[in-house]
Amino acid sequence: MDDRRQRFEALALPHMDAAYNLARWLSRSPVEADDIVQDAMLRAFRAFDGFRGGDIKAWLLTIVRNCWLSTAAGSRRRVHVGLEDQELPAAEASPEDAAIQAGTQRRLDVLIAQLAPEFREVLILREMEDLSYREIAEITGTPIGTVMSRLARARTQLRESAKDVL
Amino acid sequence: MSCDHLLKTQSYLDGQLSGAESDAAERHLQACVECQQFAAQTADLSDALRNATRHQAPEFLRARVQAALKREAAPTKVRAFWWGAASGGGASALAAALALFLFLPPSAASLAEAVADAHARALTSGHTIMVASSNHHVVKPWLAAHAGISPPATDFAGQGFVLTGGRTDTIGGNQAAVSVYAHGNHELDLFTWVDKNGALPQSTTVRGFHTAFWKEGDLNFAAISDMDEASFRKFIELARE
Repeated sequence: MDDRRQRFEALALPHMDAAYNLARWLSRSPVEADDIVQDAMLRAFRAFDGFRGGDIKAWLLTIVRNCWLSTAAGSRRRVHVGLEDQELPAAEASPEDAAIQAGTQRRLDVLIAQLAPEFREVLILREMEDLSYREIAEITGTPIGTVMSRLARARTQLRESAKDVL
Repeated sequence: MSCDHLLKTQSYLDGQLSGAESDAAERHLQACVECQQFAAQTADLSDALRNATRHQAPEFLRARVQAALKREAAPTKVRAFWWGAASGGGASALAAALALFLFLPPSAASLAEAVADAHARALTSGHTIMVASSNHHVVKPWLAAHAGISPPATDFAGQGFVLTGGRTDTIGGNQAAVSVYAHGNHELDLFTWVDKNGALPQSTTVRGFHTAFWKEGDLNFAAISDMDEASFRKFIELARE
């Protein structure tokens, strides 16, 4: 195996789950998440010579998010329809009814998926990926103050909507 | 929610503050009922979110990505077929051997070393504490949210062992919650991690640190400190009660 690819794989592949988790929560679609992650890994590999060391996880997640933005821009409608089609049980009358019948995990997943993307991403990066505010600010390209207020809003909204499972 | 300090309190709960800022936020939290309520709610939400799905990359996607990287990096000169085949076989055999090695449970002796390493690493880096608080209602939910383990985190200030905070760490490949105590100038780390089957080492001295190991249910405990042996034993008795 050539050296550059070996170095890249050793650094980047351990963060494949984090990349996939973010792609999946942003796109809310398993199929799109696969494509986003593959696209992101290739872009990261091509840009690897420009990577100056430091926080590779944050760097990769920034690329994942950018890849998601470029898919969303090209197919905005599909992404919006995606939530109802793919994350909620399709046969049920309303999201609420369906969610109540499902377990806590399903219910929480649905409620997180319903958060606006700018709230959803900070919540996922903080609560699931355990990233610092500074890293989240870097990934989302927003000031730290905005990260803090979005995180507080995301938590408040989720707490309100998830009252019955908390 | 109307307290002006709410975002500061949130930063504190998320372990984003240090030094004087962290001290100030802790003092405020101890005095502000609204922020205490917010802290409890945030901890409950973090606990609940551990039940939400953290999606894992499917195996086929890993393979697909690696194949795509390989194509991307394909060398311009053509390698002899037999060389590629042989190196590929060698690499898989090596990977298999490494995987086998990595999945073996850590031996009792290596566990004592791992605890000493983690303790020394934290001491030398100066990052022994990620959440600073002597309030176990703050430390316990923080550890539960960040390490996925909810250890007792009891304050023994009355007996001379002051709870100063907590952090997350890794012991033998397992995520561990660490409660940090101060006894005079000495620091004590109490590691807690989940491992049903692993054998624990005898209590011993590793590189000058006293260590003690015990189990409660599915939780493993390891205490480590450079304090004098009598005090260390006293702490272990308190912690195991």
